[in-house]
Amino acid sequence: MTDNAPANPLEILAYIISAQIRDHTIVYVGTGLPMVAGILARFTHAPNITMVYESGGQDPIHGGMPWSVGGPFTWRKSPTIMEMAYSFGQCYNGYVDIAFLGFAQVDMYGNVNTHMIGDNFLLPKARLTGSGGNNDLTSLAENMVLVGLQTPEKFPEKVDFITSVGHLRGGNTRKEAGLLGNGPVAVISQCGVFNFEPVTKRMRVKTLHPGMTFEVAQMCTGFELLKPEGEIPLTPMPSPEIIEILRKKVDPAGVFTSLPSA
Amino acid sequence: MGVFDYSREALENLKIDDTGVLDRLVDFETARKVHLGKERAKKDKRISLKEAVAEFVQDGDVVMDTGFGYVRTCIQSHFEIMRQEKKNLQMIGAPNTNQSYMIITGAVTYSHNSYIGAEMRGTDRNYTRQLKAGKVKILSEWSHGGVAQGLKAAQLGSPGVLSKQMLASDIIKYNPYLKVMQNPIKKEPDPTVFIPALYPDVTFIHAQAADKYGNAYIYGPTVNDVAGAAASKKVVITAEEIVPESDIRYNKKGVIIPFFYADAVVELPYGALPGSMPGYYYWPRQWWEKLMRLAGPSDENMKDFIDEWIFGTKGPIDFVEKLGGARWMIEARRQTKAAEGDNEDIDFSYQEYKVGSDPGIFF
Repeated sequence: MTDNAPANPLEILAYIISAQIRDHTIVYVGTGLPMVAGILARFTHAPNITMVYESGGQDPIHGGMPWSVGGPFTWRKSPTIMEMAYSFGQCYNGYVDIAFLGFAQVDMYGNVNTHMIGDNFLLPKARLTGSGGNNDLTSLAENMVLVGLQTPEKFPEKVDFITSVGHLRGGNTRKEAGLLGNGPVAVISQCGVFNFEPVTKRMRVKTLHPGMTFEVAQMCTGFELLKPEGEIPLTPMPSPEIIEILRKKVDPAGVFTSLPSA
Repeated sequence: MGVFDYSREALENLKIDDTGVLDRLVDFETARKVHLGKERAKKDKRISLKEAVAEFVQDGDVVMDTGFGYVRTCIQSHFEIMRQEKKNLQMIGAPNTNQSYMIITGAVTYSHNSYIGAEMRGTDRNYTRQLKAGKVKILSEWSHGGVAQGLKAAQLGSPGVLSKQMLASDIIKYNPYLKVMQNPIKKEPDPTVFIPALYPDVTFIHAQAADKYGNAYIYGPTVNDVAGAAASKKVVITAEEIVPESDIRYNKKGVIIPFFYADAVVELPYGALPGSMPGYYYWPRQWWEKLMRLAGPSDENMKDFIDEWIFGTKGPIDFVEKLGGARWMIEARRQTKAAEGDNEDIDFSYQEYKVGSDPGIFF
């Protein structure tokens, strides 16, 4: 890929995720695009964020792109590395502002499934990873951002297994169940950015990516999407300068931001 | 041993009729008794890996997966457990990645599940297949943090902790050990999850260095290993290097697992392979890609792969040879030192494994 080629979908996603990050915050990131986004944010609008990882690595110095949340780049010269119990305790105690995670399925209330596809736990169509840290972060983090591909199967009305509670059954049910924080505040996909309507806590379009219409986004969704009032804004796209930073400084080898076989 | 009151809903959902199989993980009384009976003298506990597995792993034990998936994990010890054809083991850990290949040979038959798979390298199709074939029974589902808190409760010296993790999720419906209860200090409704202290039977911990008594030095993420060592009934320390006790006392500023937990010490260079070892070697990424992409999709491929890499090797020395010998060793050290920021940056790009084209050297 040449340096002045237009941004590819993964680069655009990395930028949109990074735009969720405010400066002077503590950001809990998983591997993959969230990590690219965190580092991009640090090179652009949020130079003072502290990135923390499930390895317990706190504030590592910049290095390459880690393939594992336990890998060396997540704790490279970290002043301290927390044990796992403490690294989630950090979320409980209010030392994490925002967390980013993926999903296999997400439903209209932002509940997440990373366990299984099918309706029989003992004999699933496909068994997936299980929770890992997904449930812990979703239960505890002040703000959760979910990132993944959008299809009707991946955005069902009800997830096959609630690995992590988003807004549970909507309304006040998350809080009543005893969970902490605001839960999912955004879902980012190839279609757009979604938030949750404040009263019902149902998923609602916030912005659509250029070229995307509400109808197409709805076709990619297994439940009825809520539409904001008035015209739906377009998701801001990265400037050529930001794409250059992404390609030269953040992920120069294109580990997470080059398209397969590109 | 205590008599336990497990969540009935979870027992029904998991179709567990005989709850006896669940007891040993929460058997504090036996753990305390075993700990009280451990050797107190500072004696030379060095034995071979073969001897350690033969003596300290019994069929049916709850084994803990340590490190983080493939970072400082005792994988060569798992391989020896498989070579000695240990049976009906339960596996717990956060993550619990390495149970997958231990199921197909019958070493592990019970799973306390938190996470399986190799992150970005794709889903673990072997595990799905073994689950459907009834080769593994899930005894409990967990989040990473739930396992971490259960082990930490044991280290803290507490019957359990009240947690906000896993609340209202389906995980609770598939975990007989968890109980939802009101926070007793609050007047208003405040649901919490009681997570009991967890006591694995046997834990292998791979450390960068240990002395012959079992004081073990860990550098990099310790994950759940300090808690696991404190909780576990039996503890085997394997180490890249055996150092004099004075080196631990005067030089090793960092995390030390104390000698009195250790039942045995094994000098085991490259004992974390095919995982990575902070300060020593980077992981062979292509090996994991081959496992997930070539071996994972069928039992036949999986068995061939295990025959080649586990039953076809006697230990880490053979394994290093198969990965690419001296050339692999030099590159793996260079990669890990650069990744950790101790050496100058290098180019980490490599050719991903593609089915049908073996790399020769597994970088």
